[in-house]
Amino acid sequence: MKIKRFIAISNRILLQIIGDKRTIGLIVVAPLIVMSLAGFSFINSKDVLNRIAPGLICTFAFFFTFLLTAVSFYRERVSGTLERLFTTPATKTDVLLGYLFGFLPLALIQATLIVMYSIFVLRVDYEGNIFNIMLIIFLIASISVNLGIFLSTFARNEFQIMQFIPVIFAPQIFLAGLIMPIDDLPIYFEILSFAMPLRYAIESLQAVMIEGESIAGISYSIGILIGFNLFILGLSILSIKNNKQI
Amino acid sequence: MNSLNKKDVSIISIRDLTIEYQGKRVLNNVNLDLEPGSVYGIIGPNGCGKTTLFKTIVGLIEPVNGEIIFHDQKTSNDINIGYMPQINALYDELTVLQHLHFFARMYGLNENINRKSAIKNILEIVSLDGFENRKISKLSGGEKQRVSLGIAMIHSPELLVLDEPTVGLDPKLRNELWRTFRQLASSGTTILISSHTLDDAKHCYSLSFMYQGSIVVSGTPKQLCQKAGNAEDLESAFLYYCNNLNTNEN
Repeated sequence: MKIKRFIAISNRILLQIIGDKRTIGLIVVAPLIVMSLAGFSFINSKDVLNRIAPGLICTFAFFFTFLLTAVSFYRERVSGTLERLFTTPATKTDVLLGYLFGFLPLALIQATLIVMYSIFVLRVDYEGNIFNIMLIIFLIASISVNLGIFLSTFARNEFQIMQFIPVIFAPQIFLAGLIMPIDDLPIYFEILSFAMPLRYAIESLQAVMIEGESIAGISYSIGILIGFNLFILGLSILSIKNNKQI
Repeated sequence: MNSLNKKDVSIISIRDLTIEYQGKRVLNNVNLDLEPGSVYGIIGPNGCGKTTLFKTIVGLIEPVNGEIIFHDQKTSNDINIGYMPQINALYDELTVLQHLHFFARMYGLNENINRKSAIKNILEIVSLDGFENRKISKLSGGEKQRVSLGIAMIHSPELLVLDEPTVGLDPKLRNELWRTFRQLASSGTTILISSHTLDDAKHCYSLSFMYQGSIVVSGTPKQLCQKAGNAEDLESAFLYYCNNLNTNEN
């Protein structure tokens, strides 16, 4: 692994995304539309809005990063560019780090925009530290990058990647505390919610944003998010290894 | 020259290479020696194993049996190989210049001055001067092919592995590229090329005819014609080998 090499891969990914104006528009505009719909619907129910806003920030970071990574990586696999990359001295680690740091700036910029919009337009309570918020977004986005790389192995076309969305995201949205507080879920769903990485990101962000909790106060959730990261990183490394084709 | 001597002077020696995929033997005991500065062609019908052989040489496929010996005991990761795949393998959203910069960095050309000079040189070689800021999605098939070739050559490799590099190129450009290949070979670069076009095959210094994963005959273009019952040209020789091998199977 060489730093210059994975930075070159990250730069290339950023150039590809910046070159696609519609995707940039989607990343910036779509979350603000959804935030406006949610925010103005609950404008008179501050408690609900305070719970939903951090949840939506995490969900957007998770969703868009997954979608962009899965589609981009699928294209790399089928167009032969990934294979070509492996005929250079680039290693799997270079590629994985390149992808992570290629998509991360977008996820962080998007999260910053949503946080600002939530605070200054929707008037969501805010007691937190922006760096702590970014750490949580970093952890959930990196899970998403590796999940995208891993699941793109199973897709035979881009339409199949879209089919992963309900399979992957519906359980996260319903069981991670975005719509219903986890305490109000039936016990079997509550047990299932422990397997949802989004749960820990939402819990952490709610604690940091609304209650002004420090990193030490959310260290349990951060530890679990790091665990999910390592597990899914392992899966994505295996998926790249098994992709060589004759 | 006996086999031992060949191994000593070869940039790469392939010994009893066997590849299996999903239970099917794709390459069968392939032996090949490539000498520095040679232009070596692999010809054969579709699906005979040319691409698999090339992917194995560049390290994309692990052999089941046999070995690839790089000179000075190097591995495919150490030796300077440039690979041009059969499909263009380019990023539609990026420009020609962005591609060359990206792959130059991948090959370790990190100094800006070195990289820029290598890119300028390659743009001239593949006749893409003036196309620097064009996006790949706006290029024709032949232009994409030239970008792909430029990427393979950006780091001045010792061994250039080109999988059907002239597909989609007009005869003028094909001729120019062959002139470039000969120049590269004369300066010591070894070129391994696969082609369906027998026009390309006649430019090679040595040729191997592949059939169903095995190399069935090797030699200069002239020798290949002689071995095919004094065939008039390479096309007749190609058909002779295909027909003879089909008959033997039946």
